[in-house]
Amino acid sequence: MTAAASTVEAAALLAAEGLSLSFGGVRAVRDVSFQIEAGEVFSIIGPNGAGKTTLFNLVSRFYDADAGRMAFAGEDMTTTPAHHVAELGIARTFQNTELFDRETVLDNLLIGRHVHRSTGLLSELVFLPRVRRQEIAFRDKVEQVIDLLDLARHRRQTVGNLPFGARKMVEIGRALCSEPRLLLLDEPSSGLNPEETEDLAFWIEDIVAELGVTVAMVEHDMNLVAAVSNRVLAMADGAVLATGAAADIQQHPDVLRAYLGE
Amino acid sequence: MRFVLTTSYAQDVDIFRHNGERFWYALLAVAVVAAPWVFGEFYVGELALVFIWAIAGIGLMILVGYTGLVSLGHAAFLAIGAYTHAALLKYGVPLPISLALATLFAAGIGALVGIPALRMTGVYLAVATLAFERIVAYVVEHWTPVTGGLRGMALTQPEWFGVSFVEPHVFYYVCLGILALGLLAARNLLRSPTGRAFVAVRDSEISAESMGVHLARTKATAFAVSAAFTGLAGALYAHKIGHLSPEAFTVQTSIQLLLLVVVGGLGSLHGVVFGAIFVGYLPQGLALARDWLPPAVGQVPGLELGVFGAILVLFLVFEPLGIYGRWLKVRAWFDEFPLYRKATFKRQKSYLRTERVH
Repeated sequence: MTAAASTVEAAALLAAEGLSLSFGGVRAVRDVSFQIEAGEVFSIIGPNGAGKTTLFNLVSRFYDADAGRMAFAGEDMTTTPAHHVAELGIARTFQNTELFDRETVLDNLLIGRHVHRSTGLLSELVFLPRVRRQEIAFRDKVEQVIDLLDLARHRRQTVGNLPFGARKMVEIGRALCSEPRLLLLDEPSSGLNPEETEDLAFWIEDIVAELGVTVAMVEHDMNLVAAVSNRVLAMADGAVLATGAAADIQQHPDVLRAYLGE
Repeated sequence: MRFVLTTSYAQDVDIFRHNGERFWYALLAVAVVAAPWVFGEFYVGELALVFIWAIAGIGLMILVGYTGLVSLGHAAFLAIGAYTHAALLKYGVPLPISLALATLFAAGIGALVGIPALRMTGVYLAVATLAFERIVAYVVEHWTPVTGGLRGMALTQPEWFGVSFVEPHVFYYVCLGILALGLLAARNLLRSPTGRAFVAVRDSEISAESMGVHLARTKATAFAVSAAFTGLAGALYAHKIGHLSPEAFTVQTSIQLLLLVVVGGLGSLHGVVFGAIFVGYLPQGLALARDWLPPAVGQVPGLELGVFGAILVLFLVFEPLGIYGRWLKVRAWFDEFPLYRKATFKRQKSYLRTERVH
């Protein structure tokens, strides 16, 4: 557990207000507001179809919200283009992993440095010394992430051939390579065995403690949620049920009703 | 089997991973430089044509093999390069400047074609590029003052110190030099952020975007770079054929280029060279085969196109990694003998992908 409790007063890193999104007649997200504080682990839980991943896709700007506003570090990002979100300092992973399958782990991690590039097409075509310097600096940074997540033995393997658990970690690594301030993890434990899930809890704590990255995650595994989260947001049918500490949320009558029925 | 001990990051950035590779590439360089002294003039000319195919192939490989965008209209870029170059030469522009301008012009048109490509993939993009090829062909056929229309136009072949630019040996070394520089430039691009962005777009657009890759700009860049290489090849091809006419750049040429990248091996620059050798010598092979085959088969018009198509399909079904992929397997067999396992190259079934949000 980190010292996030003492920084409750700090300004919100990500603030969303009144987000709504409908797909045709389906109201996937209805009037959702939340604030993610810097340095915390913020979990979003809810039954299937509650709108959790849709919420992440709104923050990633893959979808345009029908209503509502979002601000990151005090700056409005309601209409920021999707490819600019990483530059703001938000990186993410995907539920079923979206890696570059035919490339090695190393190349996958290097793409994480994309937002930090300072070279253009022409200088790259002739591979000017500064392109080389940049590549070496990228490589150095990637190696730090490899160290942190213990990916060294997979370094030169093709991602498509790795077991699912390793792929999940590579994806988290790729996100970390962009040096984000906010890391969005979409069901990081799905497809992992209990042991890997336990390891994941340690990695998440490491990421928060060592890199100072704020983590927001969509997660089904309540043990993992309870172990690492500072605050939990519970959703059902696209709307917020409750926000609070994991223990409180697990006892919350509305949450119990959403999961178990009347 | 060789295990490379990496001791510095620079080693990963370098083109050649170890001295063994350097040795073999140096040997190859010596061989191609010495080739004109060994082979007759005819074969030197044929090799120059293979080099031109390879330069065009680099262009299509960047687009199809690395960015995952298909194009059935690359003959158009070949034509744009060739006609631009020919027109500039006619107005007395010096050869190197004309080559550069033709390349840049093709790149510009390529970028324009790349813009609508943002919203199209797969078969839609293939049809759109095919349509683009028809448009260019139409312009070539009807813009008679510049292109000579259906009658075509003769190319001004420049001379240096009394030696024609298309003297087989001179032309061979020019093509070889441009191919070497082209391969180097492509390799440089692919080990830089832009090249990685291409690959990212190919493998997963959604995660490329979430890592900060600007999809529209990356695709337009890929088209521009691709068109530049192919346009440059077109300009050289103009010298090779001497007389430009619309029949020199047809859909068949586009399909041959596609054949080149698929047969060579998608996603590898080695594959470009293998594919170019294959496509460069295939017509001769077919011409020879025609004499051997019974007339009922051998004299069928359009046999070439049929064979191209059949080879394309066979490679896609049986060896999607192309000749380069086959070469990797052969090398691995020797490296690991007697422990080679077929499964080494079997890709695991890919996992369920996140539903597309676009």
